[in-house]
Amino acid sequence: MTHTLKTPFNLARLGTLGPFIALMLACLFFATQSDRFFTAQNLSLVLQQVMVVGVIAIGQTLIILTAGIDLSCGMVMALGSIVMTKFATALGLPPALAIVCGIAVTTLFGLINGLLVTRIKLPPFIVTLGTLNIAFAITQLYSGSQTITDLPPLLTGLGETFRLGGTEVAWGAVLTIALYGLVWFALRETARGRHVYAVGNNAEATRLTGIPTQRILLGVYVIAGFFYGIAALLSVARTGVGDPNAGQTENLDAITAVVLGGTSLFGGRGVVLGSLVGALIVGVFRNGLTLMGVSSVYQILVTGILVILAVAADQLSHKVAR
Amino acid sequence: MTSPNTSPRVVMQATGLVKRYGQVTALDGADFELRAGEILAVIGDNGAGKSSLIKALSGAVVPDEGEIRLDGVKVDFRSPIDARRAGIETVYQDLAVAPAMTIAENLFLGRELRRPGFLGNVLRMLDKKKMLEESIARMNDLKVGIRSMTQAVETLSGGQRQCVSVARAAAFAQHVVIMDEPTAALGVKEGNMVLELIRRVRDKGLPVVLISHNMPHVFEIADRIHVARLGRRAAVLDPKKISMSDTVAVMTGAMRPEDIPAECLAH
Repeated sequence: MTHTLKTPFNLARLGTLGPFIALMLACLFFATQSDRFFTAQNLSLVLQQVMVVGVIAIGQTLIILTAGIDLSCGMVMALGSIVMTKFATALGLPPALAIVCGIAVTTLFGLINGLLVTRIKLPPFIVTLGTLNIAFAITQLYSGSQTITDLPPLLTGLGETFRLGGTEVAWGAVLTIALYGLVWFALRETARGRHVYAVGNNAEATRLTGIPTQRILLGVYVIAGFFYGIAALLSVARTGVGDPNAGQTENLDAITAVVLGGTSLFGGRGVVLGSLVGALIVGVFRNGLTLMGVSSVYQILVTGILVILAVAADQLSHKVAR
Repeated sequence: MTSPNTSPRVVMQATGLVKRYGQVTALDGADFELRAGEILAVIGDNGAGKSSLIKALSGAVVPDEGEIRLDGVKVDFRSPIDARRAGIETVYQDLAVAPAMTIAENLFLGRELRRPGFLGNVLRMLDKKKMLEESIARMNDLKVGIRSMTQAVETLSGGQRQCVSVARAAAFAQHVVIMDEPTAALGVKEGNMVLELIRRVRDKGLPVVLISHNMPHVFEIADRIHVARLGRRAAVLDPKKISMSDTVAVMTGAMRPEDIPAECLAH
């Protein structure tokens, strides 16, 4: 038998298209329910609503690819936004430095999560359940549960929009897409990116090939923390304030986005762009149901059902693959 | 090449290896010798020191005493990665592959090739095309009948997966390939497929250390049989001269090494 360069059809290919098809169907459905849905203005709004969850989901995707999970993502993001707004206002730091400090704090949380997972070998679920509460408590204590207002313009700059073909597009949305492009490239085209998949696939086999698996795991948690910091800046830019109660819906929405996007909770399979599609699915459902006048409790109900469906699909495709 | 009146070149040699775990002495002065171009089977009952010996040779454990020489040079492995760098590749029983990744990716895992120039040096881009072509060349070379190198390893049978592991080891080993029970998890047909591949690896000039419990497999492909017992090397047997039952008798201690007929010992 000879070897060919041809790629056989496989389920994994269908798996990467599935979320996109689901997004298209959701859009079509809401377009029939509300004529305001398919306006450029509304779609631009969806994109703005999605960018915070979208950027958190990048970090979350990296962690889930290693067969981990980060329950602390939204709370760490909230802490980052409080640090950068409070440093810029109460401490009077230059805005750029305040932003750097906020991102540094979220990155530090990523480092703590990573060290606990790699050095003390604690399960990521438990570690991040702990840091979720720690980050939430620090956020409340440091902010005094008060919203931080009167921010310097640099902190809200990413919320500014520019006109593109008659539509207002937020700079933050552009940044979100650029970050997705960057991570997609790194995961797909570089050795380190492939090693992230390898760790999630078979950590022991990967270690035996001489790849420093612990360093890769630690790096993934640190990079995720960095992305939560960027998300914090986007959150501040979008709302115009430092909100100590931010991140509570984003926390689970980010995990939902990753799972809806086709990344396996078992690790080692998935495409980061799927998480953007997943975030858009969540955003489209929220937006569409709002336009239809459905109460927000039902939106949460629908999100819950979507997650279970996505995880079930993941589990079933796993069975087929074996 | 060696002249007919001298024995083949020794590739890897260990003398007087001792490894203690607390009160237990797993290796009690074990010797080992692997020659160029051979398949050396290592057999032994549980607790005979077989796996400790192999772990010492592959860097997984550091012996307390004794020395290991590779091509006559003393080596001091602190980890499996040290052994790997020295040109010793190990294939494990439990199918050490990344299932969702392609065959080509698995073959080059941890040894990826980067593109030349700016794309590789600055953007760190992988040279996927070259890795794919080399994977095809390597697999054709070893006559592994797998259609596509871009299919995920999980689409393969257990035997084919093990062939991927063996091919990876053979492709990158400079000196020695160690195989730890490579056929233990496989059925008869799949096991034979892997045995056939191991033979081809040897014929390409790489010496193979084969650890196996499967006596028919050992007798089918081994050139010499190293019998481990009580933490030492009890004997090195010639599978063409000795019977399977006598080999088991040496292994279990029912036949003392000094009672083995001289013609049955490998030279």
